[in-house]
Amino acid sequence: MRDGQNPAKSIDHVPRPEKITVAIATYIPYLKGYYAESLEVLKLSLGSLWESTRLPYDLLVFDNHSCHEVQDYLLNAYERGLIQYLLLSDKNVGKGGAWNFIFQSSPGEVIAYSDSDIYFSPGWLEQSLKILETFPNPGMVTSRPLRSPEEYYSKTLEWAERQEGVKVEQGRFIPWEVFLEHILSLGVSEEQAREWYESKQEWRLTYKGVSAFASAAHFQFVTNKSVIQQFLPLEMDRPMGQVRSLDKLINQAGYLRLTTCEPYVKHLGNKIESKTGDKDHLSLPEKSIQNNRFWDLPLIKRSLLNVHDLIFKLYYQRRN
Amino acid sequence: MRTGKNPSKTGVPAYSPKQLGMALLVYIPFMEGYFRQSLDILKYQIASIHHHTNQEIDLLLFDNGSCSEVVDELIKLYNAQKIDWLVFSQHNLGKVGAWNWIFGSMPNQLICYADSDVFFRQGWLNSSLEIIQAFPNIGMVSAQPTFHDVLDGKGKAHLFLEGDQNFRFSKYRPKGEIVDEYCQGIGADDELSASFHDMDLPYITDLQSNTNAVVGATHMQFIIPKEVARQVIPLPVSKALHRSETTTLDRKIDELGYLHLSTQKNYVMHMGNTINEKLLSEMREIDGSLKLEENPEKMILSKRSVMFRLALRLGRKPSINNFFLRIYDFLYRVLYVENQ
Repeated sequence: MRDGQNPAKSIDHVPRPEKITVAIATYIPYLKGYYAESLEVLKLSLGSLWESTRLPYDLLVFDNHSCHEVQDYLLNAYERGLIQYLLLSDKNVGKGGAWNFIFQSSPGEVIAYSDSDIYFSPGWLEQSLKILETFPNPGMVTSRPLRSPEEYYSKTLEWAERQEGVKVEQGRFIPWEVFLEHILSLGVSEEQAREWYESKQEWRLTYKGVSAFASAAHFQFVTNKSVIQQFLPLEMDRPMGQVRSLDKLINQAGYLRLTTCEPYVKHLGNKIESKTGDKDHLSLPEKSIQNNRFWDLPLIKRSLLNVHDLIFKLYYQRRN
Repeated sequence: MRTGKNPSKTGVPAYSPKQLGMALLVYIPFMEGYFRQSLDILKYQIASIHHHTNQEIDLLLFDNGSCSEVVDELIKLYNAQKIDWLVFSQHNLGKVGAWNWIFGSMPNQLICYADSDVFFRQGWLNSSLEIIQAFPNIGMVSAQPTFHDVLDGKGKAHLFLEGDQNFRFSKYRPKGEIVDEYCQGIGADDELSASFHDMDLPYITDLQSNTNAVVGATHMQFIIPKEVARQVIPLPVSKALHRSETTTLDRKIDELGYLHLSTQKNYVMHMGNTINEKLLSEMREIDGSLKLEENPEKMILSKRSVMFRLALRLGRKPSINNFFLRIYDFLYRVLYVENQ
């Protein structure tokens, strides 16, 4: 039965979520074989995110049934206030299921989604937002230039051709080193990368002084929640391998798929290269929760809590 | 860089959600005062769900910024596979904020929401499903008769059934023990309890299936179809727990033409924040590993203690009583409410 007044009823405000939710999906079922270095990759990814993201944001992590070592790391980060929303799933609901959870529940108006093997550099969010806020009807903005099949950005080109004030250029604008870095991260040979690089070109679109390439990738992108929610629920019955359906849906609906012109994120894959990132990122940063108020000192807090408890007992408990 | 092939891409099927997803909302900021027994009560609730639900479910628990002791216990329950989805929020998003999250993200066809102090009895699900199957335009179905009309008599959605020959409107008076249990659950005083005992509740009968349902549902526990849940969000939120905000759910559901219904019997019980003998006796029927030796009396001050008598005497003076209650609220806000 209810005794007394729930003190939560006296709260006359709740914190407003940040405008931007950075959302990351993790799936590291064990630390052997393909996943042997995946926890280190995750640490490097989150470490770079915490260090390189200057705009206010909430971090949401969806863990799709990872092993205990990964779970412990995430819980530790949550308890330190480095993750604002942590969702642990006892079942692997697949990438589509994780996306359904993430895109439906992210509290921010803007969602910056990323796989758990992405390295973030300073400016990644600012530059992506600049494109998101300048171009009309943006669907996905990826924070590095890359090429993707034209069928996934055909509507972007159609828009550019009919929209006044858009400068459309075709050429080989992505520097070879930037192109190669991404292709090598996918486990493709340099020889193959050279062949791909020379066989195609990019489309660069400049609108209201902001440039972007026509293309995007589902491993990392920034989007508006109101846009992405239109495509939910995503029906994917396998853990992976059906993710391109989101790319198709966004293009078919006429939303733009764009990338930044400079590389601000890097795909790490499942193995860390020696030259990638700062090894300091592998350890969790210092506790970020504000804990410097006078009444948060343990002795003071305990004493005040005892007074609170005493009043509850005296005034609210049944006296029968 | 990527080396080798990701084993997840081999075509193994992803998990397919169960028909029913249950979502519990937990907020236990500390283990003293009002919340002293709340963690045990939550454990009882989870045990009752697993023991008295006769079909497989997905259980989601949304933790709205509880203290570390509670977080640790929730992780144990998750690791013991008593919880399928465990959501931790660093901030208290409020009850409505959590609803926005739950209603938006749960993939199940039916979503059962419950506060973290609801005991589920055998038959709760079947009785709820009977109503869901018998009546059209289901919005919310609670497994306990509803005594308090949150729509203050202004609900309209059920009126479309009045002219339908397949349905009959009537009134009944619930058994005294059902009313008593409801009154205990909300901590009603004698006057309020008497008014509930004198109350006849409106109900509708589906004549084809002979299924009865009380008009009205409660926020404490209800089943809502996913497609309805998706239509009502986002609900406006600014407070942690306030009637003016939680009732927006009911208004939206009613405006959309969906019904609020509940069972005639009490298949769920509001446990509140105190463990009593009645609850313990029901828990003893559950074959769980929960320890039930908790003495419900231990937290209550002895009537003979000096402190108790002093409190009674001081409490007779309204000014002193109000002063202490303001300190109670003030300390909670200073210690646990986040600065904006």
